[in-house]
Formats: sequence, structure tokens, C-alpha cells
Amino acid sequence: MLLSDLLDAPVHDADGRALGFVVDVRLVLDGPLDGVLAAPRLHGLLVSPRTGSSFLGYERTDENSPALLARWLRHRHRGTFLVLWDDVLPPDETHTPPAPTITLRHDYRRWSPALPQH
Amino acid sequence: MSPRLRRHERPFPPDEQLPDPPQPAGLVLDARLHLLDRQLDDVEGTPVMTIDDLELETDADGLTTVVHLLSGPVLATRIFGGRPPRDRWHRVAWRHVADVGTVVRLGIRGDGLDVLWVERWLRDHVIGRIPGGRHAPE
Repeated sequence: MLLSDLLDAPVHDADGRALGFVVDVRLVLDGPLDGVLAAPRLHGLLVSPRTGSSFLGYERTDENSPALLARWLRHRHRGTFLVLWDDVLPPDETHTPPAPTITLRHDYRRWSPALPQH
Repeated sequence: MSPRLRRHERPFPPDEQLPDPPQPAGLVLDARLHLLDRQLDDVEGTPVMTIDDLELETDADGLTTVVHLLSGPVLATRIFGGRPPRDRWHRVAWRHVADVGTVVRLGIRGDGLDVLWVERWLRDHVIGRIPGGRHAPE
């Protein structure tokens, strides 16, 4: 599976209700040690009501400058949430490329999209 | 205009305060924010490629991890959709990555990587045949 199969894919809940689009994929370097670094494990998906303009990440960080741009982009992406990969039903890999729809489990949880402060 | 849910289609209030997710032990990276379109340098700081995509693999335990960084002809597919054929991707294994920052740095020299075959071919067959093309300028 390629990352681009997930990015911008529409996301639905188990009842078929549209929730938004995958704007980014959260990885955590705590997989098996692979060379110098640990392998990045797929941790979750960031889902936003909009697809475009999230690449700057203003809705995920405390970055506030330039102020007008930050405020506008954060406003556009209000409603963004993180859903953990364990709450995603396995994608149908019989399609090539895989079917571009992400379906969440019945009991999925929504989390804040903010990046942890290291 | 890029796809979006219209205001009346949004299932949740937009200004809802959500709880913080469980904190994982390792470094957290957002793929598009921290990896895609970043420059990949080799151990000597020589640019190798730009990261255009990532290849993910799911093992027998259900753990999905990044195994390769990919570079390829993505301009047309980013505009019109789809993805390049598998044989057009150049792959660099994640195990060669030594650091992730403003650029992604490899722990090896780029000379042996497939992604630079065009540069090597041009150096040996074109630049090298120009008088003075086999040494640094004086």
C-alpha cells in the first residue's frame, strides 16, 4: 500500500455517514528497529472536512505566524480530528489501487489532531 | 476547488474540544507535514531525491510500517489523479534513514542507490567525454 492511497480518501463511519477526508497520516517511530531508527508505525489518520491546504499543519501546531494566514488556515480546518489506525476497518486490497474509501469501526473515537510537544 | 463537506453535511460541531490522544513512546511524525516533498540527502549531504511517496507494509501481526521512501514521476498524477506504474518508482529503504529534520538524511553514500543512475550515466557517458569533464574546475 502506498501513502497516496490513503491521502485525500473520503472517510465514512460504519453507517455510511461521510466524516471528511484524510488530510494526513500520523506515524510513530516505535516500530521494530530497522537500521538506525525504528520503523515508522502507522498510528492514525487525520480527518478534516476539507482536503486542501492542510499541508502547512496550522491546525495541529501552536504556530501563529504569519497571524492572518495562521488564523485563516486554522479556521478552514476546524473540525479536524485524529482517528487511530486500530479504529479503521482494513482497506480492501483486492482493488489495485485499493478502493479509495476509508471506513471506521462502529466504536471509533475522535481525538485532538494536535501534535504532541516534544 | 478541492473536495470538502458542505457545512450542513458536517456531522460534528466544528469548534468541539476533543481529548488528547494516548501519547506514544516514539517520535511522532505526520507524513505529509514532515516527510513528503522533503529533500533526501546522503551521509555527505549530497542531495539524492525528493520524497514523493511512502510504501507501507503490514506484517503478520497486523503492524503497518513504512518500509520504503519513494521518488518518481508524480507531477501528472498529483494534478490528474492515479499513480505512476510500479516500475517507475525509485525506492530507498527506511533502514538507511539516519535522521529526520528539515531534510531527511541517510546514513549511507548515495553513489550506490538506483535513484541516481541517470546522473551516473550522464557523468560517465556525456560529461566525462567533454575535455576537462573528469576533474574539478581549477
